[in-house]
Amino acid sequence: MVTVEEIEHVSKLMKIDVDDHSEYLEKVQTMISYFDILDSAGVESEEISMPEIPIEELRHDEHIPFGEKLIEKMNHYKGTYVRAPKM
Amino acid sequence: MMNLKISALEFVEEAKNGNVSVEEFIGKTLERINDVDDKLHAFLSINDKAIDQARDIDKRIKSGEKVGACFGMPISIKDNMCIKDSKTTCASKMLENFVAPYDATVISKLKKQDAIFIGKVNMDEFAMGLSTEFSAFGPSKNPWNIEHVPGGSSGGSAVSVSSYECIASLGSDTGGSVRNPASFCSTVGYKPTYGLISRYGLISYANSIEQIGPLTRTVKDTAFMLNLIAGIDPNDSTTVNNNNEDYLVNIDSGIEGKKIGIITEMVGDGIDPEVMTATKEAISKLEGLGAICEEVSLEMVKYSVAAYYTITATEAGSNLARYDNLRYGYDLPVEGYEFNSYISKARKNFGPEVTRRMIIGGFVPSAGHAGKYFLKAMKVKSKLTKEINEAFKKFDLLIAPTVPILPFKIGEKIDDPVSLFLVDINTVTANLTGKPAISIPFKIVNGLPIGIQLLANSMNDKLLLQAAYALEQTVTLPEVPI
Repeated sequence: MVTVEEIEHVSKLMKIDVDDHSEYLEKVQTMISYFDILDSAGVESEEISMPEIPIEELRHDEHIPFGEKLIEKMNHYKGTYVRAPKM
Repeated sequence: MMNLKISALEFVEEAKNGNVSVEEFIGKTLERINDVDDKLHAFLSINDKAIDQARDIDKRIKSGEKVGACFGMPISIKDNMCIKDSKTTCASKMLENFVAPYDATVISKLKKQDAIFIGKVNMDEFAMGLSTEFSAFGPSKNPWNIEHVPGGSSGGSAVSVSSYECIASLGSDTGGSVRNPASFCSTVGYKPTYGLISRYGLISYANSIEQIGPLTRTVKDTAFMLNLIAGIDPNDSTTVNNNNEDYLVNIDSGIEGKKIGIITEMVGDGIDPEVMTATKEAISKLEGLGAICEEVSLEMVKYSVAAYYTITATEAGSNLARYDNLRYGYDLPVEGYEFNSYISKARKNFGPEVTRRMIIGGFVPSAGHAGKYFLKAMKVKSKLTKEINEAFKKFDLLIAPTVPILPFKIGEKIDDPVSLFLVDINTVTANLTGKPAISIPFKIVNGLPIGIQLLANSMNDKLLLQAAYALEQTVTLPEVPI
């Protein structure tokens, strides 16, 4: 069961400003509770298979000029730097 | 009176032979959008250069210059694909003013073929939904009955094709987001083999399973579109080489002798009786065409929706991290904020469904919960893939209704997330396993459409289109009442 405290914690980790965490509690709890069905899938011994792409099939690791100064499309930049708030 | 109801192939033929003025066709299409879109809300933006582009194509046709295969065909584009110098909002306030600096690969391919992008169409915010009710700019309406949802997340795509506001559309399908609205609006909707179409320039939601796919009036039109946009792309390392397959050639080969598996878990509990009847009719028609149909069980289907939402929320949690107000997002001044609160403030403007999925996407893969949720979901995905691969050793194709229920009323399920999840039960399998799948318009019951879904093994897209074409030829449907 998900608690309001857990939702507060995850929201903070995900950097989402949520005014009222309890507003999300019921639906998130319902969704997570539904995921409990995975417990009865009997897949504990299953191996996770992932597609593999041989490195030689990837494009060459080389710079491809974009043709435009992308930084100029940012709202806040100075020279070649993006401006960000202080950390 | 210009016939806006023609198929893509008919349009191309008419335009090529000079029987249709592209400028006039585009003009009438824009008039149609003007007339009906207040009711339907398929479009988020309209291409104000469409008439000029059409005029240019007409000139080139008349002067005998080379013209691309689309001959100015009006196509709508789901608003999560980048068109250079056009707004690409993802139906989110977060990207309300984002102007794409480049073309998605599918867009550059269609531009080369002289397609005209008539406008960008509505969707659930960041493609998270299956009814288009979660668009930050308001829901689209089903043209068959505007009190009902058009499906989603590519709802605007399906509405625009079925209500003759364009000839074809591109949507994206993460868990059924092309096939579901295609079924609900009575259009063809296609999810190709994973990797067949480049995702470069598609705003990411869940990269490992999503694909761009066409929505069209006919199966042949889907094959035509696939010919134009499929193939390997150096900008998307997951693309596969299809050796320039021509999906139109031999599309009428028929399905005599083909073995079709009826997925037991998709025709059982929870299916609407009308949808069940339609499915039985479709099976009967396929048998009449010489196919051999038998039931086949995919036990993991029962867990597929939970696995799907766990995996997609996790990937979304990572993908949406880029909306930090610096690279993308609002134009907030950087002064007066601490770094984290600056980002949090921007993300406050995600809609409620996106926020929920971000929270879930942070929760299910987190330390202490990953073993229970994310890893199990990945194992279900692996086992489901094994099961379907086994099924394809015995069967050429699989069949199920695209959606187990009829299009529901707007607002009917919005407060019941699990009930909404289960609408996806028949579509997520193709995404989790990377298989191609298509929804074919099959029946109208009480004024609402039902689509039938066929699936094939990976890279058997051509066979799938042949079977879909065969089924399509057995059906005559009424026109959309709008």
